[in-house]
Amino acid sequence: MPPNGTALALRGLYKHFGSTIAVDGIDLDVPTGSLYGMVGPNGAGKTTTLSMATGLLTPDAGSVLVHSIDLWAEPEKAKPLLGVLPDGLRTFDRLTGAELISYTGLLRGMDPATIESRRDDLLAALDLEVYSRVLVTDFSAGMMKKVSLACALVHAPRVLVLDEPFEAVDPVSAGAIRRILSAFVDSGGTVIMSSHVMALVERVCDHVAIVGNGRILAHGSLDEVRGGTDLEERFVSLVGDAGERRDLTWLRQS
Amino acid sequence: MVATILTLRLTTMVHQLRREWWRALVLIAGAIWIIALLPSVAFASKELAFRAVDVRMDAYTAIVTVFMVGWAVVPILVAGLDDSLDPSRFASLGIGARRIMPGLTVSAFLTIPAIFFLMTLFAFSTSWILEGGDVFAVALAGGMLSLAAMILSARVSVMWIARLLQSRRSREIAFIATLIGIFLLAPLASIVVADGLETILEYDATPILDSIRLTPIGAPIGAAGAAALGHWSAVWWRLALSAGWVVLLWLAWRVNVEYVLVHPVSRGGGTKAREDSMLATARRVERRAARRAQRWPRREGPAMVGPQAMQAFRAVTAVRARAVRYWFSDPRYLAAILSVAVFPVLFFFLVYPAFGSPVAVILAVPVMLAGTIGWGRHNDIAYDSTALWIDVVAGKLGRAVMWGKATATMVWAVPIVIAGAVAAIAVSGRPGLTPGVIGACFGVLGTSLGVSAVTSVVLPYRAPAPGENPFSAQVGSVGAGLLAQLISSMAAWIVAAPVVLPLVAALLWNPAWGWVGLVTGTGTGFAALVLGVRWAGSLYDRKSGRLVAAVS
Repeated sequence: MPPNGTALALRGLYKHFGSTIAVDGIDLDVPTGSLYGMVGPNGAGKTTTLSMATGLLTPDAGSVLVHSIDLWAEPEKAKPLLGVLPDGLRTFDRLTGAELISYTGLLRGMDPATIESRRDDLLAALDLEVYSRVLVTDFSAGMMKKVSLACALVHAPRVLVLDEPFEAVDPVSAGAIRRILSAFVDSGGTVIMSSHVMALVERVCDHVAIVGNGRILAHGSLDEVRGGTDLEERFVSLVGDAGERRDLTWLRQS
Repeated sequence: MVATILTLRLTTMVHQLRREWWRALVLIAGAIWIIALLPSVAFASKELAFRAVDVRMDAYTAIVTVFMVGWAVVPILVAGLDDSLDPSRFASLGIGARRIMPGLTVSAFLTIPAIFFLMTLFAFSTSWILEGGDVFAVALAGGMLSLAAMILSARVSVMWIARLLQSRRSREIAFIATLIGIFLLAPLASIVVADGLETILEYDATPILDSIRLTPIGAPIGAAGAAALGHWSAVWWRLALSAGWVVLLWLAWRVNVEYVLVHPVSRGGGTKAREDSMLATARRVERRAARRAQRWPRREGPAMVGPQAMQAFRAVTAVRARAVRYWFSDPRYLAAILSVAVFPVLFFFLVYPAFGSPVAVILAVPVMLAGTIGWGRHNDIAYDSTALWIDVVAGKLGRAVMWGKATATMVWAVPIVIAGAVAAIAVSGRPGLTPGVIGACFGVLGTSLGVSAVTSVVLPYRAPAPGENPFSAQVGSVGAGLLAQLISSMAAWIVAAPVVLPLVAALLWNPAWGWVGLVTGTGTGFAALVLGVRWAGSLYDRKSGRLVAAVS
């Protein structure tokens, strides 16, 4: 059993695709009230791990506990606690921004009046009001991220699992998202998010896990993992620098 | 460049076979089937070699016309059959149409169907060999021109229709044109019914075939015939006509390749601003349910049941509203609506002459229509792949999702099937059979939708994503698609067949059976739909963690 006060516990998660092992036994405890960052190089298994943690991908082995409820055994109890922002999946694009949020609210079983007021709050908070009546198909990548985040928030979940929430988002909106996440965590909510950007994780998160080759290489509070240096240095020392530094001399413009 | 594109085509094929080895079995089975067909082709052409020139010409004109129509129409009707190289993938490489066209052309000719038709048309040409080497040469040249026209017309029809369905305006025009076309078919059908097809064939077939030979479709055969009769001047203009036609088709294809190279896939649904109809629909449905609950207090309204049932109720409403939206705004779904009528109409014109009892054939058309609509949903999870993750993370909602999709299909399917049934009864002149036909239609619609719900969860195969060419096959999905289509259609036939029995009884013995059919058909259809959706829903919940990976 995970220690008390664990919002999300991953136990021995394992996933392979053909001969490639994407996730090779990941154990992780995300404490309640933490803003947990997950960093790792491309192809480290972050998205695969977060997909298994949210019910989007069946693990080959291992389990996921959301506030002690087994996600894969009792999805009807665990999924209402989760708010999910996946990465790399296309979103249904024939609804307007406002309709997409309402649609998610209805799927979550919320009543229309609550949905309407929260929808308007979210559209205002994420600066999407102008686009609320535009079809999602005409959204830019950053707007898409923001409206997907609004969908993840609308049912006021206890745990947010966000895959690359800041990717393609402009600095003003990123600030708004940071404020929303901090307030959520301060009130007792839990966030786990993945990112490539070390500076962002250092600035936003209080806990961090470094993932490489489908395993957790280091995890804990930000200061524990950093160990005196900055996160980027620690990251590079753990996952290894690019093998050979070869100069692309032919790229020089004479 | 030709070699590069051919290598690309071959490499993607090898990769897909390596990933899923059983696709090779499907390929081999197809090849064996085709090889098994060749002896009968050879036999037919040998038989015809000893017939008079005009008999031979008529036979070949009819066959080649069917081939031509097939090449132009089948890739549009059978979704996912067209796995040719998509030229829009070359868009980012900055290569002009001029450079990729030769490679695309050669690779279009190197497919299994193309090779089969090459052998078939070659075999046909050999039946002119007794007339002398020069006649055979003309027949062979004509055959190859026909082959080129077939292959190119497939490319042209697929690309132009896909382009047509892209913009809102042309989508509406295509929709209306198709409806007009269907309405024009009704009087044609009644003429066929009134005069009998035999009389039509007897008096009209020869002039029809004669005039087809004046068009590029039949001109190559006319050329061979003219050569056999020694009219060499007629040979040259006919060959020139069909060569010109091939060049024209190639240019039409090229124009389109040029277009897609500079017009990247636009997913725009038009920038019409809308109010939140999702919420408005939910409110309306809940108000109606609340009124019902008030009127019949003993039947629990949704407001009185637990949160789980409430969530399911709201999820059904939401999924249905969303599905109705995609049915009428997504080109892939519009193409599906437009093509449901084609199979029953083809069935009518192909089967009608073979059977003695025209009423049975006419009444089978709306039943076929119902079955086509239901079966057409057998890959719905993959077509709707972009919404799958939202539905999956929201909870254990399999049944609600499947029920929402099925009822959204019924929103347009039920009126169309009823209209088809009424039209068929009017053409057949047997109003006494109305209850039987309606019962059979609803029965077949319900059972086939139920079967499709299950197979869409069990055997999803990659479908074109929104904004992509609705007729293209996804790389690596042709084999899986054919397998899923085979299994789902067989299952639909098996489950739906008993539903039609009372209609058969009403037709053969006593129209009173029709009333039995109305009750059993509607009942069975409804029961099969509910059972199918429930089963599909629980499979969906169990497989949800694998479905996302399977379709996106």
